[in-house]
Amino acid sequence: MILNMYKNSKTGMVGGIITLILLIILVIISNIQVDKMNSIENIFSAIINPIQNGITYLKNKIAGNDSFFTQVNELKAENEELLQKNSELEQSLRELEIIKAENATLKEYVDLKDKYQEYETVPAYVINKDIGNYTNTVIINAGKNDGIDVDMTVISEKGLVGQIVSVTDTTAKVQTLVDSGTAVSATIKTTGDNMLLRGTLNDNTTLIASYIPTSATLLAGDTIETSGLGGIYPKGILIGTIKEVVNTQNITDRYAKVETAVDFNKLNTVLVIKN
Amino acid sequence: MKKIGVVAILILIFLILYFFQANFFSFFTIAGIKPNLFIIFTLIIGLYAGRTLGMTLGIIFGLILDFVGSKYIGITSVMLGIAGFLGGYFDKTFSKDSRITVILMIVGSTILCESIYYFWNILKTQNEIEYLNFIKIVLIETIYNILLTIIIYPLIQKFGYRLEENFKEKKVLTKYF
Repeated sequence: MILNMYKNSKTGMVGGIITLILLIILVIISNIQVDKMNSIENIFSAIINPIQNGITYLKNKIAGNDSFFTQVNELKAENEELLQKNSELEQSLRELEIIKAENATLKEYVDLKDKYQEYETVPAYVINKDIGNYTNTVIINAGKNDGIDVDMTVISEKGLVGQIVSVTDTTAKVQTLVDSGTAVSATIKTTGDNMLLRGTLNDNTTLIASYIPTSATLLAGDTIETSGLGGIYPKGILIGTIKEVVNTQNITDRYAKVETAVDFNKLNTVLVIKN
Repeated sequence: MKKIGVVAILILIFLILYFFQANFFSFFTIAGIKPNLFIIFTLIIGLYAGRTLGMTLGIIFGLILDFVGSKYIGITSVMLGIAGFLGGYFDKTFSKDSRITVILMIVGSTILCESIYYFWNILKTQNEIEYLNFIKIVLIETIYNILLTIIIYPLIQKFGYRLEENFKEKKVLTKYF
């Protein structure tokens, strides 16, 4: 029915398909990271190498002139046996993969608990992410029934995630660090200089550090953690590391880009700190 | 009775779109930017089923989205309400039988709705306005919406005429008789 619909409209089918292909190409290209460019190399090698392999094989065959047709039956039997074995191995591999994934999740939970033992925490899974482009919130599967309330701090194994902005009985909304509406008071771990971190619209791995004291010396690679000022986040939770210091003409305006310790694209398990 | 059935189907489609937007389009992005299926959907309802239904459903859909995902209640609701209103307005002003005009309608409403959404958000959170980032997001999102519209245009037309049959009385232009 849908196909008919496309046939009826003028150039609908062709235009639609071309646009779909364009869209897919655009999505793939725009999401390639520079350090993953060798995937292009892989594609080319995947096209060229099998042919090259075949040619080399033929060349060897002709040159060696060995018994190519003599052992066909023998080889067939062997092939069947190997296929059988292969499917068995694949089966067990799949089982192992499942166990591995399960193990990783459990390990994550245990690690999380150990790391932040001094706090009373509730573990939770991220069940939904933001659908818009301007905000960065996530929904977790723990709510009022688990003792969670607004303004509680959310962390993960790697570091600070954000704070709870609203709760229902079974879920809670978390405004993440990288949301453009979040501001966190932070401090450099080694020197103790305070600054303010804000999320940007641009990407969800970078924060902008401003209000840096003029006397502070910043270096790329410095560790940033929460300062405990402002009363929302407890002191000493890892936020990230300084990626770049941007110096302006006026030293009071200088700012730094901070890379978050948490990868918000792969955020799956979190802990809520009950104060 | 039939109208209630159609509205129920529209709400069902909305839920399907929500799961698409939340799951599929969260990774199928252009440079990290997602499209906005809800603006397209509400605009089409307004365009084919009239301003009232477009606005009403837009506001209801927006409220649902606000409750599920955003920090402030009402912003998405107003945004989608405007999209529905625009649909009804465009229907009176332009022809919806041409692919180009429908695409231009999508462009106009995406830019307008997203701007309202963003600047309202800024007023609420009192953040600094990031003009460049905002323009980049809106541009990519508009392009994404255009591409999606081109792909599903025949579907929109078919679906739209069904809606129109149910919600608009046959217009008899009495002044010509």
